[in-house]
Amino acid sequence: MKTLAKLFIADLKILVRNRQALFWSLAFPLIFTVVFGLFFGSESQSLGSLMIIDNSKTELSESLSDAIKDSEVFTLKEGLSEEQAREDLKKGKLGALVIIPKQFGEIVESSIQVPSGTIPSQPKFNKADIKVVYDPTSIQTNSTVVSVVDKFLSQFNLKVQGAENLYSIEEEKLGNENLTYFDFVLTGIIGMALMNSSIIGIAVGMAKYREDKILKRVTTTPLRTWKFIVAEVVSRLIVNLFQIALILIVSTQFFNAHIVGSIFTVFMIALLGGLLFQLIGFTIASFTKTTDAAQGMSTALTIPMMFLTGIFFPIEQLPKWLVSVVELLPLAPLLRMIRTVALEAESVFTEPKNFIIVAVWIIVCFAISASRFRLSEE
Amino acid sequence: MEKYIEVKDLHKRYGKSSAVKGISFDVYKGEVFGLLGENGAGKSTTLEMIEGLRRPTSGEIKVFGKNIKTNTRFIKQKIGVQLQSSAYYSDLTLREILDLFCSFYDNCTSTQELLEIVNLEDKADKTVGQISGGQKQRFSIIASLVNDPELVFLDEPTTGLDPLARRNLWDIVLEIKKRGKTIVITTHYMEEAEVLCDRVAIMDRGEILVIGDTDQIIEKVDYPFKIKLSTKGLSQKERGKLSKFGNLDPGERKNNFVLKLPNKASLINALKEVENINPETFTVEKASLEDLFIQLTGRRAEKDENLS
Repeated sequence: MKTLAKLFIADLKILVRNRQALFWSLAFPLIFTVVFGLFFGSESQSLGSLMIIDNSKTELSESLSDAIKDSEVFTLKEGLSEEQAREDLKKGKLGALVIIPKQFGEIVESSIQVPSGTIPSQPKFNKADIKVVYDPTSIQTNSTVVSVVDKFLSQFNLKVQGAENLYSIEEEKLGNENLTYFDFVLTGIIGMALMNSSIIGIAVGMAKYREDKILKRVTTTPLRTWKFIVAEVVSRLIVNLFQIALILIVSTQFFNAHIVGSIFTVFMIALLGGLLFQLIGFTIASFTKTTDAAQGMSTALTIPMMFLTGIFFPIEQLPKWLVSVVELLPLAPLLRMIRTVALEAESVFTEPKNFIIVAVWIIVCFAISASRFRLSEE
Repeated sequence: MEKYIEVKDLHKRYGKSSAVKGISFDVYKGEVFGLLGENGAGKSTTLEMIEGLRRPTSGEIKVFGKNIKTNTRFIKQKIGVQLQSSAYYSDLTLREILDLFCSFYDNCTSTQELLEIVNLEDKADKTVGQISGGQKQRFSIIASLVNDPELVFLDEPTTGLDPLARRNLWDIVLEIKKRGKTIVITTHYMEEAEVLCDRVAIMDRGEILVIGDTDQIIEKVDYPFKIKLSTKGLSQKERGKLSKFGNLDPGERKNNFVLKLPNKASLINALKEVENINPETFTVEKASLEDLFIQLTGRRAEKDENLS
């Protein structure tokens, strides 16, 4: 036990002092978090910038402006003249421009002459068109503006005509209402961080130990091999915990990320993933003799997984035949597990398939490493 | 005398090539035993089989009277191993490495004392990357002593060191011997073996060519004595006269000649002739381990040529 503790502490020191290990485990995922956070995190759900020019200043025009503001999907710009705004539109600084004409909401006659007196008097409005000017590149902004304005106008039209809403839409977003694309990517980054630091860390680390003859030197002592490996694995898992904590803290504190489910379970899955990827690292180390070979082989494994297994987009968007292959790769089920827990607040076992794939990979890699990985050649 | 190591008919094959071809030798308690030979002679492979790092293809190895195959862990507790050009964790300090290796053994000696033996106490908190090559070698020797072993293996501890650092290392080896340790050392520097080793075995291509007390085996050389002459030139007649006593070689430098002599009588007679020639300088030397080594390996090379 004393030996194991000493080894564990030494391994932790090495991990903390080794710049390369630290980069892969801490800096690399954090860079991704910050980059994606800056793009998709801080102004959640914004569809672009918009400016309203209200030439009418009536009660009605103001309630239209409020309706657009309340939709909370645009960043509103203010204080530009129409000409300046059109200029900004051309330069792409502005997504769309809504112009409310002067006649909008103007009452022509204060009341209608009603002979019988049974119908309440209603004001009569001037006809007017709201103008939406948009940059053709921001179609999404435009279509949303148009639909918001259109909805407002049709409701008002109906009201004026004294009709009732018979049918309407009730919107429901699956899962938590606040979840954004950033939350999706963030959970992907957690998986990526685990994968890169563990696979590259173990494969390259062990190859370097072999080249430096540290593994051989260790075998000259009575130290049992399993102790050496357990200390290595556990110290890296501890670093994994810090790694995930750091990503979560930065993303939730600075970029409005949401984790709806159990943080504890997310960490447990992270440890499972760390273990899985370290075993893959040991498997690579069993077959590669030099640091360069280990580096190459780990990159060859991690890069395809990074782009295909759903870190940045759901794998269902891939061609069907590819999905059936990709969902079996180690990272794909792990990401699904993280997302099931973190974003849907469901149990990891909701989809047992994910758990089974991860377990199979762990067993296979363990079997290969146990039979092939040696501290020194014979 | 107590035998610490017994090696009998040891073989190691890698595929078709043989690294070690049936060698046998013993190492006794308290001695410094040298395995000599060029790179690729099979010294390190032999050492690593005794240390339990490599499995012999055939043959028997006993350390402390116990078979290495079945008592590996017991033996590893009691031996210290310095690997050839071994590096240590580059991100740990010397003290941290010693403490870590200490924890691998049941017994552990004071790391401070070890650092003092090799004058590295002021480098204790530096990493291996921050010390010089000589210091690294010194450190790797004391790292093999953390468990206070009875038997120490040093694999080419002086390779790549400058002459001063090498001499410094010799002192350390002798100091370890003084502490009662038995040492097995490999080297390809013959003068090093002459200084350090009580007994040596000369290896070549996986075989032991000769084994014995360092002083005694030197006498097995064909020409145990030599006279080195420095003179402007030797006439044909003078050359003929000298060649009668032994083997006359042009020396390595200009105007230098080496006369190798087979016995004491020829040495005395040759000296008289040298006096007649009256060279500018001359020295009389005993043959060295190096002469024996060249003689043995040189002959073997000729034998191989005749065979083919």
